Amino acid sequence: MLGPNGAGKTTTVEILECLRSMTSGEARVLGLDVMKKAREIKYKIGVLPQDFNAFDLLTVKENIQFFGSMYDRMLDPMDLIKVMDLQEKADEYFKNLSGGLKQRVGVAIAMVNDPEIIFLDEPTTGLDPKARREVWKVIEELKKKGKTVILTTHYMEEAEILSDRVGIIDRGRFLALGSPREIIDEHGSGSHCIIANADAKCLNVLKERWPDHEIRNGNFIIPLRDKDNLVEIIYALDGSGGNYEQIQVTRPTLEDVFLRLTGRKLAEGGDTENAE
Amino acid sequence: MPNRILSTLISSVKMFYRSKSSVFWTIAFPVILILIFGAIFSGGNGGKYNIHIQDLSDSQMSHKFIEALNQSEVINVIDVGKDVNISEYIRENSPTAVLIIPSNFDSAFIPGATNNTTQLKLMIDPTSTSANVITSIVISVSDHFNLAIAQGGEIITLKRTDIASEQFNFIDFFLPGIIALTTMTTTIFWTVDIQSRYRENGIFKKLMTTPLTRMEWLATQILWQLVVVFISIATILVVGIALYDVELTLDPIAILIIISSSALFSSMGMILARFIKEPETAGTAANAITFPMMFLSGTFFPLETMPEYLRAVAQVLPLTYVSDGLRDAMVYNNIVGATNSLVVVVILAMIFFLIGVAVSRWKVE
Ligand SMILES: Nc1ncnc2c1ncn2[C@@H]1O[C@H](COP(=O)(O)OP(=O)(O)OP(=O)(O)O)[C@@H](O)[C@H]1O
Ligand SMILES: [Mg+2]
Repeated sequence: MLGPNGAGKTTTVEILECLRSMTSGEARVLGLDVMKKAREIKYKIGVLPQDFNAFDLLTVKENIQFFGSMYDRMLDPMDLIKVMDLQEKADEYFKNLSGGLKQRVGVAIAMVNDPEIIFLDEPTTGLDPKARREVWKVIEELKKKGKTVILTTHYMEEAEILSDRVGIIDRGRFLALGSPREIIDEHGSGSHCIIANADAKCLNVLKERWPDHEIRNGNFIIPLRDKDNLVEIIYALDGSGGNYEQIQVTRPTLEDVFLRLTGRKLAEGGDTENAE
Repeated sequence: MPNRILSTLISSVKMFYRSKSSVFWTIAFPVILILIFGAIFSGGNGGKYNIHIQDLSDSQMSHKFIEALNQSEVINVIDVGKDVNISEYIRENSPTAVLIIPSNFDSAFIPGATNNTTQLKLMIDPTSTSANVITSIVISVSDHFNLAIAQGGEIITLKRTDIASEQFNFIDFFLPGIIALTTMTTTIFWTVDIQSRYRENGIFKKLMTTPLTRMEWLATQILWQLVVVFISIATILVVGIALYDVELTLDPIAILIIISSSALFSSMGMILARFIKEPETAGTAANAITFPMMFLSGTFFPLETMPEYLRAVAQVLPLTYVSDGLRDAMVYNNIVGATNSLVVVVILAMIFFLIGVAVSRWKVE
């Protein structure tokens, strides 16, 4: 679930996790009604809440053990610690861990009951780029194990890299749903060719040939309808006898999709920066 | 389900001994209380009343009189020198009671000199609580002497003993109050602290995602509080026995009262924490509840000394029944009184627990 701050991501997943009552509508998890089968659902899901915290004065292993004991059966905490690459920290108090490590413990705890669905609510928010990549690795591992992971994020890059299916959410509504490719194909504006700092000779030729162009910050932008376009552009530039600094092809991103759908940017500050 | 409760308890134990501050408060608070009470009641003259005597007569008879006062076992005589200016003495020492034995004291006892009278001068601070006691003791000793002179045989003699059996010393009477108080403060503060902290830092939310139920959580918390309370009480008894020869033991009724009262106060803490969201404010609110109870429940001051309307207030404070019940059970051996208090505490505990369950939410709001 990709959406900006306040889009309703947490609200939605908390309804699915049976933590929050919905005001209207209906929701089912694994075919079970969240209003009537909350307990049954809780046995089958694993949750990493937003702003996750565990017991400060229990060690990593003890925390996993504790939350595991809430279920009828649990995975071996040491196995989980190995999967999460936390061996060195197994006997460290939770309060002494860094943010990235805490999130990894949180994911380990979310897996402790061997759930069918794992909910991860903004697992990488507030982490530095290195820690984020560590968490991504863990999520890919979950995918490989065949787990269904429901991840919320406001990082476009994260959604694009990790997900098989993305739902773009804004103001409590899904705006688009599908694989990142499908969404971009459906809602994106297609690829563009960008020619930077072309001189007058080039521009004259280009303007005439591609009337649907756009000029932004000295960049000449041409929408690419099909692959042959690019070859034509290069020929035209070559034939014009003029100069240009750079030629570049860009694919649309989920960010573009969001901008097109809402008229707003997804997260101020780009993808690797902290959006807080 | 017992698995969940057991594992929560085990985790609580681990977190408890790893947290220096919780160990400190669980053990230090009751120790401080008992040291204060011990210092007040067993140190110095052992609960006697001071009377300052200037013996101007300094005769055999006046010495006998002072001796008689001393023998009452409640009076501690402080000798004011013969040549001291008494009004200056009073200004400097602020005594509660000053007795002046006139110089003609012994002449009154010369046989045959029937017309001779002598007047003792007792100066007393009327605002002092001990004024009445001292006055009546001096009067009774004087009467005794009067009778002796009149050749009347001694008809009434008085020996003072304390209510309840004699083997107890003063601090024994306060110990049940200290235990009641500790039970209340420990459970209310712990519960409020844990509930509001876990809500604030998100641990509650994580717990809610597991199959742990609200009932299981509340029950575990109450069980755990009980453990903490018994640690505190054991500390009180050990210190009391070691330092002040406390003779009390916990009988079954006292133990039942402690168990039900810690459930009662834990539930109160739950309710409090439910309505007060910020951990900081929650502590203040806990103070606001425990503080009046501390003073109005007969824990420190006997209810009999309070004005009527305060006694009425005490009747509705749960701590009153806990203190009373424990005192009845541990000191007076009053099984009926203790059982009555126990019943009240058990009923209150059930009511508060049910309210606690009813108002607590196991959902995000
Ligand atoms: N479907 C909805 N209808 C109406 N209000 C909603 C809906 N979904 C969410 N809200 C409201 O929007 C607010 C923000 O929601 P929420 O906390 O779920 O956002 P979020 O996407 O998780 O944001 P963040 O990225 O900051 O965590 C909340 O006050 C919530 O009540
Ligand atoms: Mg959120």
